[in-house]
Amino acid sequence: MTAQEATFNRQVIEALQPIHAPPTTFWSKYIWSLDHKTIGKQYLWAGLLFLLVGGTLAMMIRWQWAFPGQPVPILGPTVLRSSGGVIGPGLYMQIFTMHGLIMIFFAITPVLIGAFGNFCIPLMIGARDMAFPWLNALSFWVFALSQCLVIGAFFGDLGAAGAGWTTYPPLSTNIGTPGTGQTLMVAAVFVTGVASIMGGINYVTTVIRLRAPGMTYMRMPLTVWGQFLTAILNVLFIPVLGAGALLLLMDRLFGTQFFIAGAAAVKGGGDPILFQHLFWIFGHPEVYILILPAWGIAADLLAFFARKPAHWYKGTVLAMSAVTILSAVVYGHHMFQTGMNPMLGQGFTTLTLIISIPAEVLFLNWLRTIYKGSIRLTVPMLFALGMVFVFGLGGLTGLYLGAATPDIYLHDTMFVVGHFHFTMAAASFMASIAGLYFWYPKMFGRMMNTTLGKIHFWFSAVGITAVFTGQLLVGYAGQNRRLWNPYAYDIFKPLHGLNQWTSYFAFVLFFAQAIFIWNFLSSMYIGKKAEANPWQVGTLEWSITSPAPVHNYDAIPIVQRGPHELSNPELVRRLGRDWVGQAEVVAEEPGAARMAQGAR
Amino acid sequence: MHSLNCLALLFSGPFEPVNLLHDASEFGWKIDETITETTVFVVILFIMTVVWMLWSVFMNGPTHKAVFEDGADFKSWRWTALIAALIFIVVDGPLLVHSTEFMWGTFFDFKGAEAKPGAVRIEVNAHQWAWNARYAGPDGTFNTADDIVVLNDIVVPQGAPVIFQITSTDVIHSFKIPNLRMMVDAVPGTVTRMWFQAKETGVFEIVCSQHCGANHYKMRGTVTVLPKAEYDRWAQVTSVNATRAFDSKDMEAHWGWDWAEHSRIE
Repeated sequence: MTAQEATFNRQVIEALQPIHAPPTTFWSKYIWSLDHKTIGKQYLWAGLLFLLVGGTLAMMIRWQWAFPGQPVPILGPTVLRSSGGVIGPGLYMQIFTMHGLIMIFFAITPVLIGAFGNFCIPLMIGARDMAFPWLNALSFWVFALSQCLVIGAFFGDLGAAGAGWTTYPPLSTNIGTPGTGQTLMVAAVFVTGVASIMGGINYVTTVIRLRAPGMTYMRMPLTVWGQFLTAILNVLFIPVLGAGALLLLMDRLFGTQFFIAGAAAVKGGGDPILFQHLFWIFGHPEVYILILPAWGIAADLLAFFARKPAHWYKGTVLAMSAVTILSAVVYGHHMFQTGMNPMLGQGFTTLTLIISIPAEVLFLNWLRTIYKGSIRLTVPMLFALGMVFVFGLGGLTGLYLGAATPDIYLHDTMFVVGHFHFTMAAASFMASIAGLYFWYPKMFGRMMNTTLGKIHFWFSAVGITAVFTGQLLVGYAGQNRRLWNPYAYDIFKPLHGLNQWTSYFAFVLFFAQAIFIWNFLSSMYIGKKAEANPWQVGTLEWSITSPAPVHNYDAIPIVQRGPHELSNPELVRRLGRDWVGQAEVVAEEPGAARMAQGAR
Repeated sequence: MHSLNCLALLFSGPFEPVNLLHDASEFGWKIDETITETTVFVVILFIMTVVWMLWSVFMNGPTHKAVFEDGADFKSWRWTALIAALIFIVVDGPLLVHSTEFMWGTFFDFKGAEAKPGAVRIEVNAHQWAWNARYAGPDGTFNTADDIVVLNDIVVPQGAPVIFQITSTDVIHSFKIPNLRMMVDAVPGTVTRMWFQAKETGVFEIVCSQHCGANHYKMRGTVTVLPKAEYDRWAQVTSVNATRAFDSKDMEAHWGWDWAEHSRIE
């Protein structure tokens, strides 16, 4: 691209995104804001709040496994008064169902995709806002509506949803869970799906259309790549989940029998397994929906704080894209034990194991990125390294479950629970928190406290590893998931001690999050004022003031290079620092720059 | 196959050592083998990763000058590609080969199991929250007067294939006997199958493995494995008793399906 072309492109893209006057009223500033940064923050608050709710529910499950049937401290005398302070089997199934659904759809999704997607994409590609700001605001408020439905479900007749987060019929129809809570939750998942599709369309369009001149696909930060691929998966597969949810709602409310078979079926009824196909053809991409942005954030942060370019950037991008494509054709491994035709099982086993190739490429690239670097153990870096660690554990334990034979023993055990908590919960959590510490200055204009951040990291890393390893171990020993009292079985009785220890670690992990909550809230007022570029990195968002102005860029930047041009000796010599902005024009030195370019 | 006991000991702090459940079946070792060999590789890879990470982070702190390499040239990325391919071949390869071999050769070999002399056929009908099971009795036909019908207490012989056909009345359950290394979902409207062969006598627990409602946790049954002779005696006596107690008007007790009809799932 010549300088002339770049200027022309900039004129075109500037014309697409005129600068509007900043909003002045409370309504347009905080409620119906069209600013992607505010919408990102709205998602952040909504998600963090529900993360706390989901975490509290997790603690109740852990209490139950450590001390089955005993009165719950703190929550017993307050919210569980009607049941005498104890968790009964009926309440227990509602707790784990709501924990799963809330964490996946109403906590991780809004934080990782809603908050970081909204906040980072336009800033990092050099745009002034999303492609469809109005749709963006609508997306958040539709999401907020779905969260209201979740809150409503807690107060539904006959309690909240109880059919498990997978919501398998016939249990999730009126045969098994006739309460309004279950109906409201299925509706909430449908509504949140609508919000996700709106967000997804916005993200995809923004990345395709609003990249600043010079911001080629191969110069996009990996964070943006992660969000982009996730958005594609969202747009493709959420509609399938939506279809499943709608059919299920019709079964519940209007007497259809899409998923009902057995004694309750009239004239042959339907097929419960059909729902599982609809659910998992969405559900398996969903686990990548929740991990791709995490991969992207971690990959960027590892490069930034190792002060090195991300190793084989193109390979990482290709690997992430390959995972995105493969994620659509492996879902059958969730259904090996449904009586699936062995030929089909064989195909899904093979495809599932093939997905480990791009995953390895990705992982090895991270490991090579931090090799021979100049490691700065900042809080975001610690959490990024933590993400690599927990994702390693999660990925490796996935091997067992991807093949049909070991799955016979491990299916529906706590091993599965440990595995997906390491990937979907731990890795997503680590990357989200890493991202929060990292972009906090750009979001709120102040720095978070480093000491508290490091304490938070060690509690989180040790806690998460201990808790989910505990789950893996009891699963290895055969313990089934979703048991109100696992010790009703003789074979699981010896695991009581291990479960108790896992629970102690879980309680410590949970209460240690208070450090983060304090740090997050107080830093907004007492945190050190942030400079424009506190981390000394080159991506576009750090070239503007902290916090970012409403319209992001006074002039749309013209991008010169990739996102991780760190420690380039030629540039170090000429600039006197190891980083260079993506849009920074380095004055040409006759001969030398050309030579440097030739050497690359 | 218990080479991993040392690994288990590693984790045995204040609680009992953790290991795979005792395997009382003839072919369960095949499952255990795929798990164990994967564990060996997983532990090795995990340790290597952690050592690499610790070394990279603590040997090259802020004072170290970062080496400028973006890994974009073939010389550099071919290692990544090579190692990824190597891991796939060494770790995923055996798992894929063994899993496939055992699936087709053993766990889905219903034809072979049915053909063996002394094979026992049992139909299971799950409902909230119990396991009904039915043996065809001397006439070999299900849903007749001489059927043995049991609740939560299945008796099988040692050393002969036991083939189950399973369905459910209400919601999805999952019929799992961890000690005999076999499970399959009980799905309303469908008949699923599984089989195992017990190596040892004893009483083994049936665990419902699919969340099926509030009392899911106590949908417990047992499989009692008896020596062949004892089992034959039990079957004979129980069948005679069942025929005597048969009540043609008790519609609740009438269920079962034609076995041959469902043996097409090859």
